[in-house]
Amino acid sequence: MAPRDPAIVRPGAAAGTVTPLRRGTPATARLLDAASAAQRSLGRWGLAALAFALVSGLLTHGYHLFTYPLYSTDEGIYVERAWAVIHEDRLSPQTYYYDHAPGGWLQLAVWEFLLPRHFEMFGNPVDSGRVLMLLVHLASVFFLFEIARKLSGGLLAPVIATFLFNFSPLAVFYQRMMLLDNLMVFWVLLSIYLLLLRRTVLFAALWSGLAFGVSVVTKENAIFFAPTIFYLLYRRTKGDPSHRFAMTLWVFAAGAIISAYFLYATLKGELFPPQLDFSLTHQPQGHVSLLYELWYQVHRNQGTLFSPGSFLHTSWLPKDKYLLAGGTAAMLVSLYLGWRDKERNLGFLVAGTLAFEIGLYLARGSVILDFYVIPLIPMFALCIGLVADRALKALAPPVSRVAVAVVPALAAALLLLLPTGGYLLTHDPQTGKLKPNDVYYLPLTYLQQEQIAWIRAHIPPTARIISDDDIWVALHDGSPSYPYDESHFEAASDPAVRNKIFGGSWQNIDYIVLSNGMKQAIILNNTGGQEDYILDALNNHSTEIWQASRGNVHLAIYEVRK
Amino acid sequence: MRDLLYAGLVFFSLLVTLQSAHTLYVTLYTWDRPPDEARAPGHFLPPRLSFTVMLPARHEEAVIATTIERVVRANYPANLIQVLVVCSADDDGTIAKAEEQIRELRREGYGNVSVVVFHDKPINKPHGLNAALPNATHDVVTIFDAEDDIHPDIFNVVNTVMETEHVKVVQAGVQLMNFDSSWYSALNVLEYFFWFKSRLHYYARKGAITLGGNTVFFDRALLVRIGGWDETNLTEDADIGLRLSGTGEKIRVVYDDRYVTREETPPTLGQFIKQRTRWSQGFIQTLHKGTWKGLPTRKQRLLAFYTLAFPQFQALLGLYVLFSLVTMFSLKVPVQVALISYLPVGMLVAQFLVSVVGLREFTAAHGLKLTRADLVRLALAWFPYQIVLAYAAGRAVVRQARGINNWEKTAHVGAHRGPAIEPAQNVKEMIDGAA
Repeated sequence: MAPRDPAIVRPGAAAGTVTPLRRGTPATARLLDAASAAQRSLGRWGLAALAFALVSGLLTHGYHLFTYPLYSTDEGIYVERAWAVIHEDRLSPQTYYYDHAPGGWLQLAVWEFLLPRHFEMFGNPVDSGRVLMLLVHLASVFFLFEIARKLSGGLLAPVIATFLFNFSPLAVFYQRMMLLDNLMVFWVLLSIYLLLLRRTVLFAALWSGLAFGVSVVTKENAIFFAPTIFYLLYRRTKGDPSHRFAMTLWVFAAGAIISAYFLYATLKGELFPPQLDFSLTHQPQGHVSLLYELWYQVHRNQGTLFSPGSFLHTSWLPKDKYLLAGGTAAMLVSLYLGWRDKERNLGFLVAGTLAFEIGLYLARGSVILDFYVIPLIPMFALCIGLVADRALKALAPPVSRVAVAVVPALAAALLLLLPTGGYLLTHDPQTGKLKPNDVYYLPLTYLQQEQIAWIRAHIPPTARIISDDDIWVALHDGSPSYPYDESHFEAASDPAVRNKIFGGSWQNIDYIVLSNGMKQAIILNNTGGQEDYILDALNNHSTEIWQASRGNVHLAIYEVRK
Repeated sequence: MRDLLYAGLVFFSLLVTLQSAHTLYVTLYTWDRPPDEARAPGHFLPPRLSFTVMLPARHEEAVIATTIERVVRANYPANLIQVLVVCSADDDGTIAKAEEQIRELRREGYGNVSVVVFHDKPINKPHGLNAALPNATHDVVTIFDAEDDIHPDIFNVVNTVMETEHVKVVQAGVQLMNFDSSWYSALNVLEYFFWFKSRLHYYARKGAITLGGNTVFFDRALLVRIGGWDETNLTEDADIGLRLSGTGEKIRVVYDDRYVTREETPPTLGQFIKQRTRWSQGFIQTLHKGTWKGLPTRKQRLLAFYTLAFPQFQALLGLYVLFSLVTMFSLKVPVQVALISYLPVGMLVAQFLVSVVGLREFTAAHGLKLTRADLVRLALAWFPYQIVLAYAAGRAVVRQARGINNWEKTAHVGAHRGPAIEPAQNVKEMIDGAA
């Protein structure tokens, strides 16, 4: 090709043995560059939309934070483990058996350590964890907003996605709780956000890999998001000179963090079970084992997500059927659009596969706890945002301009103001009267506060107590402290507690503090007879000395008579 | 005592990790910048600047003739190039070979090459360059080593960069090529690859750069004004780079795989150690000389100090590796301490992975074939190579402490040279075009 300017000499062709540098802009960078101005800078409207998202997230999740929902066993477990990190330099006050990677409560421990009054800063120790969850939620709102904005190139998708992420009762209920899944979502969203942040992504890939690695050691199921995030990185760097380096750095960074968990177990001599015995018929004899625990978890099976009594039907759908139904439909549309045209519909492919991956995890038929739905919420919200954005903008121009503003506003108003929407207002099931949704209305944790107060007032600190994890730190960290209080799960499952502290006998128990549903859990958990001595104490040798209830929440304290 | 040992282990582990992280950052710096920043211009301006090419040579009978020829036959008007072959008077062999080549070129009409012979001491590269500088008559002075394979368009690249960006100093890329000729050559090649392609860009941007010894272009007036090269310094190139940085002179680094000057790895391990010792000792000399103290900002001074002090750190690192190997098998430490002490291992893994990818990038950019055997050799050589580097750094520290600072010359056998690059067919046309 002749040079256009005769004064300019083209480079010589003498370097015939040298392969020219690969030129060209990465496909995804082109895609991102081609997006609207909102892609690069927020602008006035963007800032307003982001501010609305953050403020609404603060209000929906911050209001009523300490009073609803009830402090859960799992919240208690993570707070007590953070307490053990700070006070006992251990990963758990009892035997740590690798049920979860410790990243989540190590982060909580750092937070608690930094607070001026540590666990007591906001009253009940779980509350300080919930404040962390509020901050984490706000950060996640920001990441979700920016991810949706960068993948769609506009403001409609992030506004819709963050609205659902903030207002869905399903989201508010679980995202207020001090759970590893909420922390994990934060790290996953950060990992994705970093890959979309800048035009050049080499070191962003490193940070993204680190964030992803932290997400996995916070909650292992984050690993299900790995294919999509890695594919996004691949697309972001495809054709760029940094492509191979970026991919390598991401894998290295994520792998380094995850391998630290395995290294920890190796250094403790707890990677493999004794005699390499992976038999699932009995626990490892001698010491705990990371690989055994992973093996055990992989082989656990507890019904399916779609069975009538599953959490899907008993807990998730009643809280927000619209998000779940709309999210499923939007996921399928996203997958279709993304798969049909991977080059142009990268955002759909990313959002659809993210939702699909965690959906697959939930539907695979292993043990599901109610809060496992948490990572599905932002991914469904993202899918709905992107699909709604595409659908409304696909309308004819005069209609689309109106529809883009009116349809989302109308949908939001219906969800918020109509009882059938249920986001803000619902009908009371007993009276049929209109009332705010429980997440903004029903106080519950005061029952647990009263239970703790009664124990402090009436039970001596030297008493040997079996309680639930949700009040464990309150009893150990507060004044007076109850050093001989053990969580019922450990009292049943951990030989170091069951046999050495309680000697497996009801006579060594002074009090049993029942949390909501704890008795049922004891019965269900008693497959190997490990709960027998607790049930014996409860059924045959104890007297109820305190009780409180509200709705279907029942708390009690039993004194064991000898 | 045990706690003190743990504290020391944690401290050194964190220090080494931080250092490794920084090294990784500067190693990959270029790949995190827009690609156009490092590339050569896409189009060349008509030749305007004239170049004096200095070819310092000592006992280079085997390669000097080819080097002269390649410079003379570059894609640049011959009347804008002056070539000075710089030799000490006792190097009869190289002088004879150079003069023989000059006679041959004159027969073809090229009269722009001459030999500059210096008679006084010290016999080293910077002294030779200073001796030749008064003979330089052209706008820009550049240095090529006797074994260099320059790209025919290198003068067009620099002419365009200097003219369009109004810079007076340009460092262009130098690249070792024979990555598969010995167990250590791939790693040596990668050092050049990352140094010229990435690290120098970082140093230039921060305003504290240690220049390379060849394919570096100076405005002649500027070079004269700062007094040429430091003849007492084993790395006069690093020294002059920092002196120029101290004046606030903007230095442009151009690394484009297409236009690199090709060199070879030292032919034997002994030669390699000598070369590396000289570089390390030169850095120590430059550090002690204090040129870096004249840099304008604290950040620049810190960066220069870190760069120059690195050989001493590297020597220390060698001792630390031995220490950690001993403690790994003999000392039972708390898990937290053990986890932290593994951080440097993690960084080592990162650097190894980056090397593997770097080798792939290097071979792809130059149309070379990378085999699995090359990767296996890279993996096997990785750790011994680090030990060799630490040994050379330690040797430099010892030599400096004992006041030994003679120039240990690196032998050149031309292992990097394939068939000659096709000479410019259109020199006459280019001259006419320029006219």
